[in-house]
Amino acid sequence: MDTSITRRRRLELLIGAVLLAVLAVLPLPIQDTYTRNLIIITVLFAGLAQAWNILGGYCGQISLSHALYFGVGAYVSTLLLTRAGIPPTIGMFAGGALGGLMALLVGWPCFRLSGHYYAIATVVVGEIFFLLALNWDWIGGATGINIPYRRSIGDSWLWLQFRIDKLPYHYAALAFAAVAWLVAWLIEGSRWGFVWRAVKDDPIAARSLAVRIFPSKMAAAAISGALTGMGGAIYAQYVGYIDPDSVLYGHLSILIPLPAVLGGVGTLWGPLVGAAVLIPLSELTRSYLGGSGRGVDLMIYGALIIVVALARPQGLASLIGVRVRAPRGLDSGADDARAA
Amino acid sequence: MQRVMLVVAAFVLAIGGGAARAADDVVIGVLYPMTGPNAQVGNDAKAAMETAADIINGSHNIPMLLGKGGGLDKLGGAKVRLVFADHQGDPQKARAEAERLITQDKVVALIGSYQSATAATISQVADRYEVPYMSADNSSPSLNQRGLKWFFRTSPHDVMFTQAMFDFFRDIGAKTGRKVKSVVLFHEDTIFGTDSSNAQKQFAEAAGIKVAADIRYRGNSPSLSAEVQQIKAANADVIMPSSYTSDAILLMRGLHDVGYTPKAIMAQSAGFAEQALIDAAGPLVEGVMSRSAFALDATKARPAIPQVNALYKARNNKDLNDNTGREITAMIVLADAINRAGSTEPEKLHAALVATDIPGDQTIMPWKGVKFDSTGQNVAATPVIQQIKDGKYRTIYPFDVAVQEPEWNVGK
Amino acid sequence: MTATVILQVAVGGLLMGLIYALVAAGLSLIFGLMDVVNFAHGELLMLAMYATFVVWLATGLDPLLLLVPVALLLFALGVAIYHLLMARALSVRFNRGMVQIFVTFGLAILLRGAAQFTFGSDFQSIGTSLLAGHTLNLGGVFVPLPQLAAGIVSLLAFGALFVIGRTEFGRALEATREDREAVALIGIDRDRIFALGWGLGAAAVGIAGVMLAIFYYVSPNVGANFALIAYVTVALGGFGSLFGALVAGLLIGLVEAMTALLIEPSLKQVGMFAIYLAVLMFRPRGLFGTM
Repeated sequence: MDTSITRRRRLELLIGAVLLAVLAVLPLPIQDTYTRNLIIITVLFAGLAQAWNILGGYCGQISLSHALYFGVGAYVSTLLLTRAGIPPTIGMFAGGALGGLMALLVGWPCFRLSGHYYAIATVVVGEIFFLLALNWDWIGGATGINIPYRRSIGDSWLWLQFRIDKLPYHYAALAFAAVAWLVAWLIEGSRWGFVWRAVKDDPIAARSLAVRIFPSKMAAAAISGALTGMGGAIYAQYVGYIDPDSVLYGHLSILIPLPAVLGGVGTLWGPLVGAAVLIPLSELTRSYLGGSGRGVDLMIYGALIIVVALARPQGLASLIGVRVRAPRGLDSGADDARAA
Repeated sequence: MQRVMLVVAAFVLAIGGGAARAADDVVIGVLYPMTGPNAQVGNDAKAAMETAADIINGSHNIPMLLGKGGGLDKLGGAKVRLVFADHQGDPQKARAEAERLITQDKVVALIGSYQSATAATISQVADRYEVPYMSADNSSPSLNQRGLKWFFRTSPHDVMFTQAMFDFFRDIGAKTGRKVKSVVLFHEDTIFGTDSSNAQKQFAEAAGIKVAADIRYRGNSPSLSAEVQQIKAANADVIMPSSYTSDAILLMRGLHDVGYTPKAIMAQSAGFAEQALIDAAGPLVEGVMSRSAFALDATKARPAIPQVNALYKARNNKDLNDNTGREITAMIVLADAINRAGSTEPEKLHAALVATDIPGDQTIMPWKGVKFDSTGQNVAATPVIQQIKDGKYRTIYPFDVAVQEPEWNVGK
Repeated sequence: MTATVILQVAVGGLLMGLIYALVAAGLSLIFGLMDVVNFAHGELLMLAMYATFVVWLATGLDPLLLLVPVALLLFALGVAIYHLLMARALSVRFNRGMVQIFVTFGLAILLRGAAQFTFGSDFQSIGTSLLAGHTLNLGGVFVPLPQLAAGIVSLLAFGALFVIGRTEFGRALEATREDREAVALIGIDRDRIFALGWGLGAAAVGIAGVMLAIFYYVSPNVGANFALIAYVTVALGGFGSLFGALVAGLLIGLVEAMTALLIEPSLKQVGMFAIYLAVLMFRPRGLFGTM
């Protein structure tokens, strides 16, 4: 039994490595900037969704405040760059650290809450920080912060700035997504992973096993928040402009988990598959139908989410043979006769 | 799963292949919010841009620059073709769409984009790819201060607009002897309201006018009743709102609800330029003043306006307003520069834009003209002040282009 | 700052609070019944406002006359949403909690797109009605009639919902909520009860939509302005508690207005969110929640 699990995990690692290699060469034959951009955003969101998955999927806490950790990472690395001249390759770790700290700060009061109370509390906390950022002039307030391309430095890995070349950003996003995936893989096999699965499946039984639920939730939050913050820092460098609306707004707290949820919550491959389907579809519908100004892109996007959620509740990843356990998620305990 | 990926791949390939197009078309990328909270503005902008293209390409004989139509004569009568993109007001999407238009549709220039936050990223992309970005209606004064070579803005920005308001206060005070002594600033909390109120504070201080209250409110709130109460309590000579349509409606109805009739309202356009506000608030907006870059009633000095307006109205069933007037003008100025360059080659186009010197009467705008300074800002864009009478904005300032006397209740 | 100003702002906040409460009531009802948070709730409100606007535009009928028809229309819509989507969402074997969140979230986006497709993106508003533009002056405190009427209608609707709770149907609702398996044994059709619950929840938000349409504007995104506040109201009052929604709505309306007046208008929502978090620290299931 034990060996079969080990074998499976080794196989997953192998598939992960192959996939990484494929994604590393994928953009090479593509000269078209728009498609490259699409791939970068997709990879970035795969990483972000995986980061969310650690708290929301594996640990089962439906957090809707990840925009906050994302925004903290983006703001910290950008402010270090524009105010102190610290390169974003260093700043992103500071951003990640603060993102993780922020997640602990949110988790500390909120983890006492259950189900929807927790979810809405996280929305509210995110919204509070969004409003504060909008009114905080020292960090640019509503005007946001511009990250100009500095021609005196030129294209540089240290400063993570490239004038036209998209490839370096692709590798930055890919490295980020790979780290997020690896962390998830490690967690699946770790004691924490077992603890969280136990917490999610049956909190009462878990407690009786003397599992310390609260610290393990805090650990999940810190890891998830830190990874999300680093993603935010990369995003800020890539886009070259941040403001509260684009990196802290609540809408992002839905967009980040969405690929994980539609791809398969609490699975290694779910966030990846979800992002690979969802992000291109939403970008392409907007690009090619949004110009009509009739809201057709929104209708298609909305219908798609409904159809996937209903037709594949265990996630799209199950279509390619990923085994999905049936977590009870939000409504643990209050199960339905039909679900049995 | 494979099937889904196949469909996606096919979609990507189909687009990558690009649609066939006539060889001599000049393609211009237009970026606006076509969905989301500001979709209305984006869709109006779309109609305005199409009207401008129609003027350039068709045959109308309108007394203005490129008004004869027939395409761009120095490029062998090449037609202007527009490609629209929806940025939803999101800077990341604006950036991605700008790149798509440049690299895929091979546009020779970009134009847009309403929200200043989206212009921040679009103009950066344009600068990196060395393609001109023509800002038609972004009003943030910081945009042209970033040392971007490829940024051009025909429209006045908030500092220029605000200057016009305070010039008006000064001149009407001198004319009637009833000076503005205090103002209330009422502005939403995004980049537009923040920039606008910062400029207003500076000008008020310089003019020795007291800011009785500076109310920064949350945009798209369910209710503005508490904020309106603060306006009433301050009871200043002039209320100066910087609001989008939704909040402008709540403000005007809210003032009435608390039984307050302000002496004067001087708006930073935006929501106050929208017909939706006039429809919603009806008689309540009578006497409201707003700055505007465009004057629909300046037909004597700008004889092209009736025909252009008719063309626009046929498309969108609305009259031209402050935004759509600026959008048409920006497109015409851009097309004229391409024509003068006689080429779509970027450096030649850039040189032509820098050399732009269009007298005001060749446009539909009440400006002195179009002439860019070294930051790409049109310094000859002189705004007007308008006042609503019988449900329509009429120009009251500068006095020499005014079509009616201002109704001035301050100090009465 | 005079007492009149404070009183005036308090009155405005409480009247708005009654609207928040009514919008939240439908949400709370649906949640209490089947543990589902409807993320398309704001869009139902938006549709009700458009329905009111369109009929007013076409016929010139006073919106007040449309209260019942629009409520019925939304009732039908709620029942349809339950049968077409939610019945399926509730029967999935995996991730039921998340599936329902994202099905209703997808529905919200779909409805917004559909509204823009059908009505365009212009801001619309109802220009004439019996109440519009009238305001009562009570010794210096101004009470606009449309808001006052909306508050009264909200209280009446709550009254009606409480009465429904005491009928046989209400008891069936209660029983279904307490024990979903057992009700089948005593001959209650759970599917029908759930559908009626969705109908009632949508009808309540329909009534709020009609009253709002009289003094608010209508646009495809208008629901978003109210949706977050509605979720916070429901959670503050306690999921499933109608009385809680009423109290929480009033509290939130008051706190919002007072924050705007006394602290900073752009932070008024921070005030209401802070109250929510503070209450949750002491009562993790909201003011009157039992679930």
